[in-house]
Amino acid sequence: MKRRAVLVVCLALTACAGVLGLSRSGPQPFPHRKHATAGVSCTRCHVGLEAAPTTLHIPDDAACTTCHTKPHNQGSCLGCHTAPGALAELAEARAHLVFDHAKHAAPSRGDCMRCHVGIAEGDDHLRPPMATCFRCHDHDAARDARRCDACHRGLEDTRLLPRSHLAHDGDWLREHGTRAAASGDSCQSCHRESFCADCHGKTVPALPATRRFADPFAASVHRAGFTARHSLEARSEPGACATCHSPDRCAACHTSRGIAGDQRRSPHPPGWVGPAAADNEHGRQARRDPAACASCHDGAGQSLCIGCHKVGGVGGTPHPPGWSSKLPLGALPCRLCHTAGGTR
Amino acid sequence: MSRLLVVAALAATSRADADPLRLRADALTTTAAPAGLLTLEADGAAGPGLSAEAVVWTGRLAEESRGDVLVIAVRARTADGRASGRVGRFVESLGALRPLHVDGVAGRLRLPLQLAVETYGGIPVVPGLATARSWSWATGARISRSLGDAGSIGVAYAQQRDDGRLVSEELGVDAGAALGRRDDLGAKLAYDLANPGIAEVAVTASHRSKALRTELYLSHRAASHLLPATSLFTVLGDVPAERAGAVVTWRCAPRLDLIADLGARRVDRDVAPQAIVRARLRLDDLGTSALTGELRRDGVGPDTWTGARGTARIALPHSLAATAELELVIADRDRGLGAVWPWGLAALGWDDGTWQAAIAVEASASPQDRHRVDVLGQLGRRWGSR
Repeated sequence: MKRRAVLVVCLALTACAGVLGLSRSGPQPFPHRKHATAGVSCTRCHVGLEAAPTTLHIPDDAACTTCHTKPHNQGSCLGCHTAPGALAELAEARAHLVFDHAKHAAPSRGDCMRCHVGIAEGDDHLRPPMATCFRCHDHDAARDARRCDACHRGLEDTRLLPRSHLAHDGDWLREHGTRAAASGDSCQSCHRESFCADCHGKTVPALPATRRFADPFAASVHRAGFTARHSLEARSEPGACATCHSPDRCAACHTSRGIAGDQRRSPHPPGWVGPAAADNEHGRQARRDPAACASCHDGAGQSLCIGCHKVGGVGGTPHPPGWSSKLPLGALPCRLCHTAGGTR
Repeated sequence: MSRLLVVAALAATSRADADPLRLRADALTTTAAPAGLLTLEADGAAGPGLSAEAVVWTGRLAEESRGDVLVIAVRARTADGRASGRVGRFVESLGALRPLHVDGVAGRLRLPLQLAVETYGGIPVVPGLATARSWSWATGARISRSLGDAGSIGVAYAQQRDDGRLVSEELGVDAGAALGRRDDLGAKLAYDLANPGIAEVAVTASHRSKALRTELYLSHRAASHLLPATSLFTVLGDVPAERAGAVVTWRCAPRLDLIADLGARRVDRDVAPQAIVRARLRLDDLGTSALTGELRRDGVGPDTWTGARGTARIALPHSLAATAELELVIADRDRGLGAVWPWGLAALGWDDGTWQAAIAVEASASPQDRHRVDVLGQLGRRWGSR
């Protein structure tokens, strides 16, 4: 039985190897490592690094055919021997990095692999990580001052995600608030003001998920069938909505959609309020999610609560044992119940 | 004030001859509210130390025509990066304290000993372009110390008043650290000073290896401390909502990621497990085409639910892309509004780098609508690199 299961798994993996990326059938990364170990110097193919430091120095077919005199087909060499997206990534790096190969030729004594150490591990990651730069360059002052533009130009326009600091992996939508709390100034290196305001702004015109409806992978709290789920999610995490929305947000939306605001009937179930203790589910629910109550009953709606819960009222004190507040009794909301000059 | 800021922003960007002025216009129309929306974005820089940005929109929302400013801000910074400032309308996020959308000013100053001070002051944004508003203001400050490469720690204080009445007063403590290349730690705590008590705590710790990332998280939130201090509902005491769990992300094949988020929620006396299992398969090396599938068990007490979601994005020739999303939510408890809520969206998009267009059909059944079908359309244009 076990053998059969292993066989099925192996067959499935073999059948799906291409889809899973286990076997590559399309363009392959250029075999830099193979060339380096064969003793081909980098500048033999990447000519003109010193003369024209701002170009990409991508070898053309002529550079390949100086050695590979009999190409196996008539197509462009880089058409097959370049990882997908590698050239675009290179062009983006050239456009957004302040870097000059010519200036690095002398200090590295022509040894490109002093920086391009990734070649030793394979052909996929040839661009040196930022830590490699810091091995020689002292950028402490620039880094501490968040002056990323000493090396990076127009980071806001790149599609790069940080890998060596504040890596945006995992469930970044949930994590970002905690991680950004101590690194808010780093965020501004790449993100414009509107990036935060798109979700956290009070004047957002429409939900981010609605505005980016054609991008199903864009992270958003309000994605997909949020309208259906929102009451379940709000009650399962009381206060989560209040971290962004003001308490009147619920009532405003429900009233405009005709779901609430009807003064003739109560949205609460039977047994919500009553003289018997068993009939007072509202107290437990109010403690559990006071923001939900506030969404309808704040302001003028408070009179419903005060009628019973004022000092001496039949509702008793709404405060829990050990309650304290630094507000004076004459201030809101204390004075609503503690009338007559501060009766406790 | 908004007019003044518009003039200031335009004055700053008009000098940005050397750098491209980036513009973007987007039109969105749906058969549901908002029926129509036009958004204009602009930003530019007059050198490395001065930049400006604005996002304004107008549209017909919920049967009324409206318009507003999302962001309009000018940012300036000294050449050595020691001091920086912002003026205008922006979102201010001060360490562990909740982000606040304000019309105001903010500044940051780096001091010796790797210390930094940041502060802001302004009027909390009220939606609408009406000039009449209550006399409300907010101010706050944070002092932090960088720990070199490892991270930083900070303490923040903020206060908000409306007509002189204290609406919110909070103290925040935050810490973040990158312990080598593999481990990250972040924590924040917000303490309500108006009604003494912990308003919010969040802790996250992650470890990554070549194909595996593990994260432990914990959150604690007390709704009564997130309400304005003037609200009657702040006097009910602390019944926090808590959540803890672990997320494991495993790249089990070069194009396949498996993600499992397992944990528990607690609200009052109710405790419930939560589980999310998600798979993402990239159909090409760049991930422009991909499939995701997700199963979810969530909620607490009488609000538990089970959900399934599938998403597909297929890149087509000529800069086209087809997307489809399906979601099914099954609530454990039928409150008379049905307990099975399907949702689906099919879209066709086109993006050639300058122009962007998309059209979609969205269909759903929810507690609000027995069945609903909406059509969404979008057209955008960019000028300058973005």
